[in-house]
Amino acid sequence: MLAKLYLLYGFMVLGGIGTAQYRGWSLDHINQIKNVPRSIRDNPGAYRSIYSSYHHYTGGK
Amino acid sequence: MSAGQPPFPPQPPRPPQPLGAPTKPQVKALNCPSCGSAITLRSFQQAVTVVCESCHSILDAKDPNLAILQQFKAATNELKPMIPLGTRGKLRGTDYEVIGFQRRSIFSEGERYDWHEYLLFNPYKGFRYLSEYQGHWNDISVCKVEPTLTHSLVDHASYLGESYRHFQTAEATTGFVLGEFPWQVRVGDAAVVMDFVSPPHLLSYEKDKNSGEVTWSVGEYLYGKEIWESFKLQGQPPEPVGVFENQPAPSKVNLKQVWGTFLILCVCLLGLLLMEDVFSSNKEVFTATYQLASGAPKGEASFVTDVFELKGRESNVAIETEANVSNNWIYLNYALINQDSGRAWDFGREVSYYSGRDSDGNWTEGSRKDNVIVPSVPPGHYYLRIEPEGDSAHPAIGYTVSVRRDVPVFGFFGWGLLILFVPVAFLTFKAISFERSRWAESDHPILKTEND
Repeated sequence: MLAKLYLLYGFMVLGGIGTAQYRGWSLDHINQIKNVPRSIRDNPGAYRSIYSSYHHYTGGK
Repeated sequence: MSAGQPPFPPQPPRPPQPLGAPTKPQVKALNCPSCGSAITLRSFQQAVTVVCESCHSILDAKDPNLAILQQFKAATNELKPMIPLGTRGKLRGTDYEVIGFQRRSIFSEGERYDWHEYLLFNPYKGFRYLSEYQGHWNDISVCKVEPTLTHSLVDHASYLGESYRHFQTAEATTGFVLGEFPWQVRVGDAAVVMDFVSPPHLLSYEKDKNSGEVTWSVGEYLYGKEIWESFKLQGQPPEPVGVFENQPAPSKVNLKQVWGTFLILCVCLLGLLLMEDVFSSNKEVFTATYQLASGAPKGEASFVTDVFELKGRESNVAIETEANVSNNWIYLNYALINQDSGRAWDFGREVSYYSGRDSDGNWTEGSRKDNVIVPSVPPGHYYLRIEPEGDSAHPAIGYTVSVRRDVPVFGFFGWGLLILFVPVAFLTFKAISFERSRWAESDHPILKTEND
């Protein structure tokens, strides 16, 4: 019984992976914004990226 | 052996006498020649010895005068049988009456381990035994044919086509008796006993130390609840402690089957991966090289790329950045913008690469390449808005931006493998832990601890 349940579970996992591939899902986190102004092409500097305050790594070993 | 662990399982000390023609159930009332108390013989013709419950005299049941064979002093704290003598019940479809009770023990590493045996009688079916150790019960009967022994690294015994693995060898002594028995029972009787297990069955060899007589018996694990229901006993059976030698694993899962299923699923996963690799278009739709000027202040002016078309169904988009950084970094604020709908995917990526040499030798950290996958992007016309940043004192940094459509994401397969593996690992761990507990007190522990 448990082996059958596991088989079902396995097929659900495979189905999930197949769906993720087909729908083009990603493991990366990307922020989506709607209705950005059409003027960006003419004035790229007018757009403020939400990532612009990112603290950059300046390390090394 | 440590406290709380199963001792050697109970054994029927000697085989009962063969039954002749079925006799009508009879009860005979007698008096103890020692104390005068009433004695009831429930198995009548089958009884060889009977024990007076009042003075603990062991009497010869075959003697019309009930000659005294032995008298023993029972400890005042001796436990009373959980199933009182004379109790009747239907065990696995057959009516039985409890006619005898004995406590037997083994000594291991200076400690005594007791278990209890109940002798059951049915005038047409004969005798069988119930044994109990710390809430673990067994239904035991004498073997119909003699099992065969196989000597190897670990001894095995075979009975009626089933193979049993050796569990333990010990010397058992009888410490307390009550009721009647179809053999010459004595307190102090000793026997060498060997147990073989094939859960939920067990096979026991017993050799009487005085007579040298050998008995084989076969048992099957029972749950206390079944006994209580069979004999309609009051209250609840004692909770089992630890794992008994022939206790069936709580999980009925067939590990071989589960691992086989896992392998099949892995093959399917591999097939899915190959299909994804073959059928993903993984097509480059845009590539361009730019340069962040030397020493440009942080936050150079942003710019946009040419428009490129993403075709096909809704799918992912991979954006790869390759920069010629060396002991510095470049940070790029990206926005993938749909020219028609105004939807944008906003993200920041850093490319940094450091290298050097220290007391451990050469080292590197980071990478000159970065890859990000934007999920579920509908078809349409797109462009990238790019805002590069660099250190205030950096040299000129050239970087190439490439956009690919419908790329395979192999990370899903890694996660998929892990998600498939976790239940198998859990079930295997559980089964191994149970078997380890089972065999810990045997002569063949799976893993020896420092205390063993």
